[in-house]
Amino acid sequence: MSPTALVLLAAMFTSVAAFVVLRLRTGSTPAPLAPARGSAAVGVLYAFTVAFAPWAKESASRHLPSYAAGIAYHVAVFTALVRLVHSLFGTPLPPVVNAATAALIAVGLMAGTALLLKRCADPRLRAISVPEDFFANGLVDLTLAAAFATAMSSGALPVFQIVGAVLLLYAPLGKLRHMLFLLTSRRVLGATLGRRGVRPASHPSGTGRG
Amino acid sequence: MADRPPGTAAVQRALEVLRDRLDARTTAFLNSCVRCGLCADTCHVYLADGEAESMPAHKVERIARFFRRHHTLLGRLAPGFVGAQTLDQEGLNALAVAAFGRCTLCGRCALNCSVGLDPSTIIRFARTVLGAAGMVPNGIRANVDLALATGNNMGISREDVLETVTWLEQDLQDTLGDPAAAMPVDRRGARVLYAVNPREVKFFPLSLSAAAMIFHVAGEDWTLTSSDFDITNYGYFAADAGAARAIAGRLVARAEELGVEELVVAECGHGYRTLRWEAPEWLGRPFPFRVRSFVEVMADYLAGGRLRLDPGKNPERVTLHDPCNLVRNGGVIEEQRVLLRAAAKDFVEMTPNREDNYCCGGGGGILAASEHTARRIEAGRIKADQIRATGAKVVASPCHNCIDQLMELNRAYKLGVEVRTLAEIVADALVLPAKPAP
Repeated sequence: MSPTALVLLAAMFTSVAAFVVLRLRTGSTPAPLAPARGSAAVGVLYAFTVAFAPWAKESASRHLPSYAAGIAYHVAVFTALVRLVHSLFGTPLPPVVNAATAALIAVGLMAGTALLLKRCADPRLRAISVPEDFFANGLVDLTLAAAFATAMSSGALPVFQIVGAVLLLYAPLGKLRHMLFLLTSRRVLGATLGRRGVRPASHPSGTGRG
Repeated sequence: MADRPPGTAAVQRALEVLRDRLDARTTAFLNSCVRCGLCADTCHVYLADGEAESMPAHKVERIARFFRRHHTLLGRLAPGFVGAQTLDQEGLNALAVAAFGRCTLCGRCALNCSVGLDPSTIIRFARTVLGAAGMVPNGIRANVDLALATGNNMGISREDVLETVTWLEQDLQDTLGDPAAAMPVDRRGARVLYAVNPREVKFFPLSLSAAAMIFHVAGEDWTLTSSDFDITNYGYFAADAGAARAIAGRLVARAEELGVEELVVAECGHGYRTLRWEAPEWLGRPFPFRVRSFVEVMADYLAGGRLRLDPGKNPERVTLHDPCNLVRNGGVIEEQRVLLRAAAKDFVEMTPNREDNYCCGGGGGILAASEHTARRIEAGRIKADQIRATGAKVVASPCHNCIDQLMELNRAYKLGVEVRTLAEIVADALVLPAKPAP
């Protein structure tokens, strides 16, 4: 195993351990006592499936380019992380997989850059932004760029592994920790809305947005 | 704001609550917001005033920056980098405006958050922090204190309740021509306890007599209670868990004492939400009776043939305002529509509607916070526009809190509508049984 692969491996273990500690410190939500009107399980399933559809939320349907960019960005991040893990095995990816993942990462990189520019340009977004928002976005963009470069040339692999290690070490510390907490958030809110019979919508129109 | 100016001790208490009252749910939500800003125009307050401070993400940030400063590693080491802020008086002042003046806890942003978190839960936590610092608006606090001291938020005495019910009962008998028509009070063993908003007893007795007429025609075995009848819970709006528990606990105890099978909550959004969904969690146990909204009960009567309605008796165009706590946060979504289709000749929906409906602007206890009146009326512009677009002459809403706000909007925006409860509309449409022969 190369020195950069060893660094990456250590970063992975550290990151996972940090996320486990964060999760344990957060605790768990108690089982609800009020009798359900709908199904919590169905609500959770909805939260992790249909709720991602652009038409399911006004925030997505009204801001389709931003929402699509966000989805592309996150797909690229997960693709890059898979490639990062795969890089530890030292075996090349089949050419088709290499090309497909490179394409996903390239699209995500463009989307991430666009979102970063939007954060810089939109006064509404600047009003809620903190310096870390720009840093985290930049760091992820850098990781995606390194992942793309690796797909184009294996010579870039050490850079990808080092940048990836930095990203993994940073993730539990700042806003990137949402990758863990959004799972809880989506589950908890989905269960609540499901239990109360609010989501998924049971009425014929699907939504009340007219 | 509170009569006692908060100082260092208040800040200290706020810090303690920030440390001790953070539950897993709120922590997850606080750590999930990525400040994407896509929530902005799902909020009626932001749509109305266009101020960045009214964006849900901005309101969340007001408390999240304290959380980061005091409860995260980077927040301690590099606060400026992560936008963390030491909790101080200035920060609390800004938080108070965000949590009580710019948010009605309607939850519309939660339904539309791209990440999937619930900003209203975070804002309720912010209110808990503010409460520890003595910064709950005086009007909300006064309602809590009065409810704790007297059993209801208007300080109505048992004698006043009995007197009101006595003349309402006489009126009911006259209207129905039936001397057997009754409004039972404190009757043990009744199947249903009908609990009300004190405003009905004091200011809107017509909604109470409408409910009585519906119960009578449906042949329900029901009772009112002369004490601990209040379904409202300003402890919930103040995010004061102890007060909320105590207020809800008294009505629950009263229902148990009377031995009813069902607690029917009159038309009150947050009253329904707190008693149906929150109170079992506050009290740490399920209840030995069912909790339903009167809207659900009326719809059941209609479906079971216990009520016959003539929509011709309500010929004017009627639209429906969906109370956030009953619909988006309570799950009672279709029943009110079923009722209005049967009770009114020309029922039209607002757009958007159901769980996507906009808040009227009067939720979250803001009606009691006079320092935010101008902001409340401004935020209600979105609702006023919705109403005007329907061309309706009557706005129905199964929530007395919403009705108060809608009546103010009616005046402020010159809508020229009549604002009514569902029970009033249903009662007007009742096909009454033939009067007994004299």
